[in-house]
Amino acid sequence: MAAEQTGGRPLLAVRGLTKVFPGQVALDRVDLTLSAGRIRALVGQNGSGKSTLIKILAGYHRPTNCDQALLHTDAGEVPIELGDPRTPDVAGMRFVHQDLALVDTLSAVENIAIGSGFLTRGVRIDWRREEERARADVADLGFASFSVTTPVGRLAPSQRTIVALARAMRGWRDGASLLVLDEPTASLPHDDVEQLFQGIRRLRERGVAILYVSHHLDEVFEIADEVTVLRDGRVVATEPVDALTHERLIELMIGHKLETRCATAGNADTTPLLSAVGLAGGRVSSASVTVTAGEIVGIAGITGSGREHLIPLIVGQMPAARGAVSINGERVLTLSPRSVLAAGGAFVSADRNRLGSLRGMSVVANTTICDVKRNSLRHRLLHRKERREVDGWISRLGTKTTGGAAPMATLSGGNQQKVLFARVLRLAPKVILLDDPTSGIDVGAKHEIYSLIDQAATGGAAVLVASTDTDELVRISHRVLVMRRGRIAAVLEGADITSGNIERAQTASAGSSQTASAASSRSRES
Amino acid sequence: MTAIADASVDPQDGEGREEPTTSTGWAAHLRLDRFSALYLWGIFVVYFGLTKKTYLSTASVSLTFGEKTIVCLLALAFLVPLVTDTFDLSIGANLGLALVILFRMNKAGQPIWLAAVLAILACAAVGFVTGFIVVRLRVNSFIATLGMSQAVTALILMISGNRQIIDKLPRGFIRIGASRWLFNLPLYFYYMLVIAVVVWFVLEHTALGRYMFATGGGREPARLSGVKTDLLTWGSLVASAVIAGFAGFVFAWKTNTFQNSAGPGFLFPAVAAVFFGASQLRGRANVWGTLIAVFALAFGIKGLQLSFDAGTYWIEPMFNGVSLLIAVSLASRQGVIKIRRRRQPNPAAG
Repeated sequence: MAAEQTGGRPLLAVRGLTKVFPGQVALDRVDLTLSAGRIRALVGQNGSGKSTLIKILAGYHRPTNCDQALLHTDAGEVPIELGDPRTPDVAGMRFVHQDLALVDTLSAVENIAIGSGFLTRGVRIDWRREEERARADVADLGFASFSVTTPVGRLAPSQRTIVALARAMRGWRDGASLLVLDEPTASLPHDDVEQLFQGIRRLRERGVAILYVSHHLDEVFEIADEVTVLRDGRVVATEPVDALTHERLIELMIGHKLETRCATAGNADTTPLLSAVGLAGGRVSSASVTVTAGEIVGIAGITGSGREHLIPLIVGQMPAARGAVSINGERVLTLSPRSVLAAGGAFVSADRNRLGSLRGMSVVANTTICDVKRNSLRHRLLHRKERREVDGWISRLGTKTTGGAAPMATLSGGNQQKVLFARVLRLAPKVILLDDPTSGIDVGAKHEIYSLIDQAATGGAAVLVASTDTDELVRISHRVLVMRRGRIAAVLEGADITSGNIERAQTASAGSSQTASAASSRSRES
Repeated sequence: MTAIADASVDPQDGEGREEPTTSTGWAAHLRLDRFSALYLWGIFVVYFGLTKKTYLSTASVSLTFGEKTIVCLLALAFLVPLVTDTFDLSIGANLGLALVILFRMNKAGQPIWLAAVLAILACAAVGFVTGFIVVRLRVNSFIATLGMSQAVTALILMISGNRQIIDKLPRGFIRIGASRWLFNLPLYFYYMLVIAVVVWFVLEHTALGRYMFATGGGREPARLSGVKTDLLTWGSLVASAVIAGFAGFVFAWKTNTFQNSAGPGFLFPAVAAVFFGASQLRGRANVWGTLIAVFALAFGIKGLQLSFDAGTYWIEPMFNGVSLLIAVSLASRQGVIKIRRRRQPNPAAG
């Protein structure tokens, strides 16, 4: 790892890059050297520091410390200021972010020109020349042309990606420069991925240095020349992809043999409390799930795999195109949060700030919102009774707050999450659905939430947990369903539930011959 | 729209509400952020009471209370949907609609009770249509109610034939509303108080009120918690229109005339009172803060009018506007400090 294997002319050299957030070291003395005409993959688990690294390069975050940042230009080596929003422009660094950052209501022509300015005749925009230029840009990247005047919101996912790429590459200077691609294939069907790769390779031929961030390890092996692995904010390896195997790369990413499972198999009760059949909508093309009493089932999958939409579909947070959901043996006829709650299901949504907390309201109001009437006598709300009930939940869950009257926004993320758990648990639900229940909360609170989940299952509830955190799924699940491209691609049970197996199953590409069983048997050998 | 609501309905974004001492100095102990309207009211009463002989006479005081009943009712009409984060700018027009139906039907010789029932039903229908536009068609409430207010104004002109109607309403009807009761105040003042108590009870002491505040506090989190956010928004707009219609009755009791321009003039004072009131007491839109705001301003204006020439008509809007700005800025100052402090980098996911 000391000597970086890099072919080609070095373009950007960063030494000792450190970024500390309050209470968390995001990047720890990271060294990174990128070369012209090479594709470097950047891989790592969630929270390994990939996003932070990219955001520093993009000038969004300022590094806490950076020993050296040199840009090699024709005129020699020039030091650059990382974290300065102007640096990417000056240094010729371009970015395609995961969400593409396109303006849906504007056309491809407008989206491509929006950053660099329009061609004008006097003060008027010369739309004809702009259109030609946009078509040329698309063709230049090696793509078949499509309507560049349609609002991009109506284009296919692959075409949207191309527009974002064309925008990033507009006005590309000859010679060395850097393109950062953050999960560019997240929203692409498999066939389009190959097309995108051709465009990327074309850029490599022109001497562009490319930093390619991806969760799909198969893609890494297909397109990258070298790969840099981040783990817990450190660079643990930078090696040519030829020198690595799939297995080895996963080992480098997860780093530890943390395959200890704390979750024990559920009880013998096999009554399915939750069953979802043929569910489709959003990123989910078809998925079926059954959870029995006392069982904790995990849903794994990279973002874009459908994992992020499965629970929203089940609970009616987003409309389902197809599929049926039964709770406690009864079919939920119209899927809405209200009917799911009425049927005995309860859930915690993924985006706490947007979908969970009523931030301006009190802890009391946040806890009891699903069933306020419980503390009412005739129509009068008994504030004292409600307060006492919530005080009980605060002490039971160890929520840190100045009191029940404290506004939700004054609580830390982990404590807000505990309030949301109290909101769910006080309903004594038969089925609990948790969407990324520990995102953005600290380790201590995480473990408290795990034991709450364990207790709920022991108490006879069926629990479905979707998570981006593989260690979390290993820790709590009795069974893990791994989603890939809208479907459940693998099922892991018992001793097969390991970080390695989950990572492997979720990063295998759809076309690959690897099946889940093959993956798990191979992991047992290793 | 939400920006306006955030700034005024819930000026402190929760944070810091429990710890008033964050802003230092004597001002903090006076809780200017929370009780500025009460202080203002007190200062007016003491100052003008000492300097102007007629200011605290029973006649003058009861006149002020009675006069402001319409503004109070419209403020309550604005408050109800505002709790669900929905603006209703058609309250003034609804007042006018109820008023014109009363007078037109009375003139046509119809019984007054029928006119009254029809007037309230017409307002409820307007609220229902507005609700449909806001909830089903997903039109921003600000725009939907602005548009509806114009449509209703047109309706009023059609019914009235663009004429002022001066007509004797039946004496029995006048007696129901305008008879003097305790403290020589007209009955309609007490009707307003009854409505205020009902609104207050529903908002603060029932599950329904809690669901309404939750809808306003976060539509999506509330919906995901099983709250019928759409129905509540819709219902609150109907309730608002009905209360505004009742304000039309009060106008009739008070003036005995119909004018085309009756409603819209009350919109600003009512809206201002709700926002001023939202900065009072609980730090969110609330009934008593709103009423206190209305009367604090009324007493101030009364005193100023006594102090200046009778011709200084400009005092009222100037005073209303400036007081609103001062009160809301006092309330949001703490919020601003908090926001500045909070502005530090968030740990980003890797």
